[in-house]
Amino acid sequence: MAAVLEPYIYEGGIHQHTLITELLEDLGGYLIQKVPAATEVTLVMLIPRDDVHLIEELGKKLLGKLERAPLTGTEIAVVSPTLASHHLPHSACDVAEFMRRGGGNTNMIGLARGMGRRVSLSDNYERKLINEHDLAVFSFGTFADCIKNKKPKLLEGVTVPKIVAGGPHDIKTEEVVGADLYVGGIGRVAHRLRKPGELSSLDNLLEKVVEVVEKMREDLAKDPLAVLPPRVMKEIHEQIPEIFDVFSPAPVTLQLDGLRVKLPYDEFHERVENLEFDEGVRLSDMATITKSRMKNYILVKIKRESEVGFST
Amino acid sequence: MEPLETFIVESTVPEEGDAYKSIVADVITELMLGGAIGRIKVRVRPEESLFLMAIILRGSQPKVKVSDMGSVDVTNHLTKEVTISIEQEKYLPELLEQLWAKYGRAGIRQPERKTLILTVEELDEEVEFLRNLVVADPQKTLQSRLVEMAIRATPEGFRVRYHSMDKHVFVFAATEDILKKEWIQEAQDIATELQEDE
Repeated sequence: MAAVLEPYIYEGGIHQHTLITELLEDLGGYLIQKVPAATEVTLVMLIPRDDVHLIEELGKKLLGKLERAPLTGTEIAVVSPTLASHHLPHSACDVAEFMRRGGGNTNMIGLARGMGRRVSLSDNYERKLINEHDLAVFSFGTFADCIKNKKPKLLEGVTVPKIVAGGPHDIKTEEVVGADLYVGGIGRVAHRLRKPGELSSLDNLLEKVVEVVEKMREDLAKDPLAVLPPRVMKEIHEQIPEIFDVFSPAPVTLQLDGLRVKLPYDEFHERVENLEFDEGVRLSDMATITKSRMKNYILVKIKRESEVGFST
Repeated sequence: MEPLETFIVESTVPEEGDAYKSIVADVITELMLGGAIGRIKVRVRPEESLFLMAIILRGSQPKVKVSDMGSVDVTNHLTKEVTISIEQEKYLPELLEQLWAKYGRAGIRQPERKTLILTVEELDEEVEFLRNLVVADPQKTLQSRLVEMAIRATPEGFRVRYHSMDKHVFVFAATEDILKKEWIQEAQDIATELQEDE
């Protein structure tokens, strides 16, 4: 039985931060993402539950801060009906920012023809792209009438959990057809969200998203994945060194039930399929590997233990 | 008229009107229109996909000529040299652009920031022309800024638009369906109503 891993974000100075990553490796945890910024570094990691205090103590010694980041290992689509430049800054940008603070990886998706009421549409390609994520947060604006009567058609065809954010506080989730959850207080604004009321709405949204993710994790635990996504990530790092030449901030992006490998599909998909594990199995035995709708990336969706018949 | 002495945003649901007011206020600040607008009233009816706006502007600003921003003098009759001494630098880039287009980059010398020297063929004619050259028209840029503001403030999908600018009254209507005549009339009525407040 593998150790239970807990998601954490470490923020501290870049000096001696490798001590943390070394300790993490010794403990059998995984470093998901490392973001150096001048003299600071942010480490997103999964730590075995029983050993969190060891990292915490070392972090304290290095004057850094260790915080639980419940969205670590999720890829979230933040969908806005429009990302038009003359409406910047969009409140969806702040939503994405808050999801990242929770540890998630976010992708902003602006629909090509999502604006308006009667004329609002989503494209097949866009729906498939959204479905590649773990969950989607939709930002639907200020007007109750639009949120209840017109915008829900954008939710059709999206199979992942859908969380709708909008301005009015008094709308119930049932009134937004197709939504799994409605969160109020985040409508259209033409400035960055920084007033206390606005920030608490974002905190509230983050809390709700975390609840949904925890629920999804529970469901996943009932029939676990054949292999943990971070384990696959580690093997990719070891067996496909070209991944270190990718400039994207998260070259391998973890999802709850898979990962997105940001390497060109045609050139690398066979090597990803043939990733070897110590147990003597290949990744293609345990996962479906397809071309992602995002750029030319590789999308790995890991099968369940019940389907494969074994787990590594 | 004080700047923004009337600022009303109406919507079917009053709270949504307040939320929309903050959007309009942000856009006005961003485009620095606060000083130019005297009264503004916006009416949004989401259920009809309708956005109406009427603005009464405060007094209009005159066109800026070269003679308003500096002096034009003949400094050398033999070489037919004309010097423009700038006092107000604000519109210098616009002036330079126009002069470059007419005389070419090499034809304008700028030994220091506020002095422009050029050589011309017909002295008197050119000096007269330069003095009366219109450098900037605040009214015109104001109108384009107003249209920009209207487009930014409108809900994104409302792409069927109407606008009219009559002296200091700006009327705007937007929807995603065919614009009805009575909607434009309603916007005009809002403008009339705002003017009557005087």
